[in-house]
Amino acid sequence: MKKEKLVCVVSVILIGLYLAACPSAGAGPGKIVIGHPACLSGKYAKAGEQALGGIKACVSWVNNVYGGVLLGGRKVPLKYKYYDCESKKEAVTSLISRLITVDRVNVVFAPYSSGLTLRGAPVAESRRMLYMDHGGANNRIFRQGFRYIVQTIGPASRYHEGTLDMIHHIDPGSKRIALAYEDSEFAKMVMVGAKEHAEMLDFDIVFERTYPKGVTDLTPLLSALKAARPDIVIGGGHFEDGQLFNRQMADLEVDVKALSLIAAATLPAFYEALTSMAEGVMGPSHWEYGVKYSPQEADKVGLPWIGPSQDEFVSLFKKAIGKEMIPDYHAAEAGAQVLAYVLAVEAAGSLDSDRVRVALGDLKFMSFYGGWDVDDTGLQVGHSMVDVQWQMGKRVIVWPPEARTGDVAYPMPTFAEKARGKVAVPR
Amino acid sequence: MVLEQLTGNLVQGLVLGAIYGMATMGLSLIFGVLRVVNVGHGAFIMVGAFVTLWVFSSLGMNPVVAAPLAFMVGMALGFIFYYSTIRRLVKAPELASLLATFAMGVLLEEIVKLIFGSEFRGYNWVTGRIDLGVTILPVSKIYASVGSLSIAVLLYLWFKKTRSGTAMRCVVEDSEGARVCGVNVDGVYALSFALGIGLTVLSGVLLTMFIPVGINPYMGGAYTLKAFVIAVLGGLASPYGAFFGGLVFGLIENGSYTLFALLPGVEPFALTRFLSFLVLLLILLLKPTGLLGKK
Repeated sequence: MKKEKLVCVVSVILIGLYLAACPSAGAGPGKIVIGHPACLSGKYAKAGEQALGGIKACVSWVNNVYGGVLLGGRKVPLKYKYYDCESKKEAVTSLISRLITVDRVNVVFAPYSSGLTLRGAPVAESRRMLYMDHGGANNRIFRQGFRYIVQTIGPASRYHEGTLDMIHHIDPGSKRIALAYEDSEFAKMVMVGAKEHAEMLDFDIVFERTYPKGVTDLTPLLSALKAARPDIVIGGGHFEDGQLFNRQMADLEVDVKALSLIAAATLPAFYEALTSMAEGVMGPSHWEYGVKYSPQEADKVGLPWIGPSQDEFVSLFKKAIGKEMIPDYHAAEAGAQVLAYVLAVEAAGSLDSDRVRVALGDLKFMSFYGGWDVDDTGLQVGHSMVDVQWQMGKRVIVWPPEARTGDVAYPMPTFAEKARGKVAVPR
Repeated sequence: MVLEQLTGNLVQGLVLGAIYGMATMGLSLIFGVLRVVNVGHGAFIMVGAFVTLWVFSSLGMNPVVAAPLAFMVGMALGFIFYYSTIRRLVKAPELASLLATFAMGVLLEEIVKLIFGSEFRGYNWVTGRIDLGVTILPVSKIYASVGSLSIAVLLYLWFKKTRSGTAMRCVVEDSEGARVCGVNVDGVYALSFALGIGLTVLSGVLLTMFIPVGINPYMGGAYTLKAFVIAVLGGLASPYGAFFGGLVFGLIENGSYTLFALLPGVEPFALTRFLSFLVLLLILLLKPTGLLGKK
């Protein structure tokens, strides 16, 4: 009898505690949680730190300036839950599982890089969890039939569209293009896109070759490239081979009107290593400090604007990471992803992954990062890359017109001129 | 046009091959005398590259100045590692010295990363260029290849004409016999290891004169692999064989590219690597001691 009473009392207490823990009927969630296996150490630590700062900056803006996410008639704050995945594939899968099952997050932000993003996608997919990609540019991710993945970073196939559009616009007579790129999935995807776009614009592909990863000498390839007498060279793959590419073009005096290198040319370390030899060299970037995106620009192209201004973002970013550091595109795209999620949740009026995914499919907006729009597969189609060129030791955004901070220096000086100290001066 | 490209690439290959050869001599010297396989070889090349970067960027001096400094740094590292580790492993199973040299390489990489960070760096030493008609050679590359050749000749003369060189050759032939004849074998081992490391660090300077970019703590891996191929090609225990192997490797790597490019629908770079290793396999099958190696 005593035992029965004790069981009854304990049961009543437990039921009471359970009911107290449950939100009352009709009340929305107390917070919206973004989960993220962040690359805070390992080979992507630099990009990971930037992404972390970008997300924190925009979460802070949403909570403190925007007032929270409008859901069920009230403003709900965002919470950011992250773990260090150490840039390792195996950690990504286990952390995504943990974020979904233990931390009960409402959305998962993918880690940096195409490889890690792709590794985590099946885990999010199997748990029907919205999975937002801010650092995986490879188009292949979106050809696997995943339903819950949405991209913010621009896809690899569109990296050089702006470069080619610009050259076609300023020098329609220069038709001869050479493509030389690393034999990697990412670089090949970039070049497939560049080739298609070049052919669409009636450029002639006079040279197309790849080189292996980890190459230490590009002289034979560049000698053959030089013999093809191109007007424009598009190439690269990663930072180290981009440096080598530019350097050995200088050594062999492969003089062209324009040189655009992916993944390398936009970084300060590129110019530090090459100094005058980098003058006039261009590279595509997802975002650069100095872009001119603003509510007025959004109005011009008929898009709604959300988020901090560029300078507000920079100051929030510095505060978030506690360093006096200018954010790069890794930070901007991660931050813009927060804004996309907020708008989609508000449009869906729900945190349900399926409904938010539908809302993301319909979403078009502009922020400090630029345009945002995805196709049916989740591939980003609304964001234009910007083209950056080294002029007098400084990075200048030269394309597209709505984002540029200066005119392009075209044609770029010859390598012999650069050796004599000539710098790239705008037309 | 093809002939011009081929000739140009062979010239470039010969210049690069001289540096490859120089970069392998230290490896062969250490193996020849101590029978120690230095798998941390590339990390010592990397140290030389960073010495050059520091001399050029921080001291604002000519990279040529970095050569004697790098050699001394290399010798010092060689003596330190020999007396702290290698000395105990000379007669130990090969795996022990293999693991020890691997650990040395990792240790050096991490120390350099701690000091300089992991970014890819470079320097821009403008020296002018010489147009040979078939190709263009920066003067810095000519300095590097002439430097490699000069060091190879000096090493040869040192082996042949000096007492310490003769003592080293005696130890290679018969270490016990040399000991009986009064040769300080332990001293010879220490000097050989230090000299091998000194040459390797020095080769890092010459390598950056050829390719002054991509300098980072982990750059050595690619050169370790190439050095082993070249060492086997020339004769694993023969420093001169290594130099000769480097020249052959450079010619094969650069020359074959032009020829493979004539084949439709192939990526020449992939085939040049295939050819390099095919030649290596053939050498191992037909002359396991290498082109200049002795039984």
